[in-house]
Amino acid sequence: MACPTSARAALRASIRPLQTVAASPSTSTSSSLYRRHYHSYDHPPPPGPFGATESAILAAAYKHVPEHGFTQTALTHGARDAGLPDISPSVLTNGPFTLIKYHLITQRQALAERSRQLFERDDAPAGVGGKVAALTWERLLANKDIIHRWQEALAVMAQPSYVPESIKELAALSDEIWFLAGDTAVDPSWYTKRATLSMVYTTTELFMTNDHSPDYVETGKFLTRRLDEVKSVGGALGNIGQWVGFTANAGINILRSKGVRI
Amino acid sequence: MFATRTIARPARRLCAAPQCLSLARSLSTTPAIKAQHASSDATSGTSTPKKRKPLTQEQRDFLSSALRVNQSGELAAVLIYTAQGPPILRKHPHLRTLMAHMHDQEAEHFKTFNKLIHKHRVRPSALYPLWSVMATGLGWSTAVMGREAAMACTEAVETEIGGHYNAQIRTLLEMVGQWEAEGYEVGAEFTDLLSTLRRIRDEELEHLDHALENDAKAAEPHWLLTGVIRAGCRGAIWVSERV
Repeated sequence: MACPTSARAALRASIRPLQTVAASPSTSTSSSLYRRHYHSYDHPPPPGPFGATESAILAAAYKHVPEHGFTQTALTHGARDAGLPDISPSVLTNGPFTLIKYHLITQRQALAERSRQLFERDDAPAGVGGKVAALTWERLLANKDIIHRWQEALAVMAQPSYVPESIKELAALSDEIWFLAGDTAVDPSWYTKRATLSMVYTTTELFMTNDHSPDYVETGKFLTRRLDEVKSVGGALGNIGQWVGFTANAGINILRSKGVRI
Repeated sequence: MFATRTIARPARRLCAAPQCLSLARSLSTTPAIKAQHASSDATSGTSTPKKRKPLTQEQRDFLSSALRVNQSGELAAVLIYTAQGPPILRKHPHLRTLMAHMHDQEAEHFKTFNKLIHKHRVRPSALYPLWSVMATGLGWSTAVMGREAAMACTEAVETEIGGHYNAQIRTLLEMVGQWEAEGYEVGAEFTDLLSTLRRIRDEELEHLDHALENDAKAAEPHWLLTGVIRAGCRGAIWVSERV
């Protein structure tokens, strides 16, 4: 009940000068938060998911994740590094989950820059499928430094109150990958593409947490196999659909040529 | 727990302070695609130092549902005209050029909204397959009922669509007018969107005129046909704005 007024004063005092420092990480990550909503190219983006103080703590705490995991300990270390009192991570109401979200969001947003580097090169994959595979692999490699802590993070994400936000982040990631790969389809395949990529990504990520092969060769092979399966199933369904459509069309035209008034 | 809450609140309030936001905005780094876009319409970007206002959540919601419903509507229009084609043209070959003209215009509108939906990263309507089936059914059944019924269908649909586009244009003009009143700049993105919507609305109303010229009013029973189709259109618009 007793409110630590001195700590609050200290926090408030230390936030002011920090804004200037903190603004850069928060704004560089704020470009495309509400991706399911209209994305404007002319107007400034909406403010990012984290406030200035929050991203200062999170950015500093993120460096401690390989050692301490996505935990309150990492957050406390981060607050200390950012020059804030130990109590300050309590501004993050979801605690460790906010740190996980920070990882997910920053790594997703880093993909845009990576995709530019990747697709500028001469050996860039040509088709949309190849680009999707390359980007998915890039995103998986971004887990490299924290992969030994990722199973704990997945456990936190699976807590019922965090599940909706975790799924939203996964959907945002697959949307980002398809968009960056240059897929322009806006028919029902928009949904199936994102759903299958989300499935492939989560299973591969889970595989990666137990992969001890050098440079995650096994994970790479696993990903290729899953993507090939999706491609063959999708191709088969597409062929069936095409055949049904063609047959129906031909049937109607035969009836019309016989004088049936349809 | 209580102590953490009391600290959490003032800290949040500090972050939400306008000065903090404006600082964030001025430092914001432009993503690559955006930078490219800005350089392509440099005339409006560099010559005026005026700032553009960030879109509110409400405006984003409006724009996404507007683009989504327009795409679904144009998809339905293309399918209606496609399905009407064979039964009508068998009995009235002289309508071939008119039907082809209307179909081609709708196909162009559909392509325009497909591009916009992809560009602005809006999700298409989840009921896309349902709209396809229903539009094909509507087009085919009215065409089988005869030329007048098919034209009454066009009349009903285009009346609703014309009113719907007008409502969208009105909202957009309000948005743009407010920015101008507050001294913000209006970018090419919105002026282009407005002119696209106006052009498409005019073409839809032109179809309405064609339908009336071709005896849409002679359909039996006219009031029932147009009433049912218009109610259906309004329902479909309401649903696809949301789903």
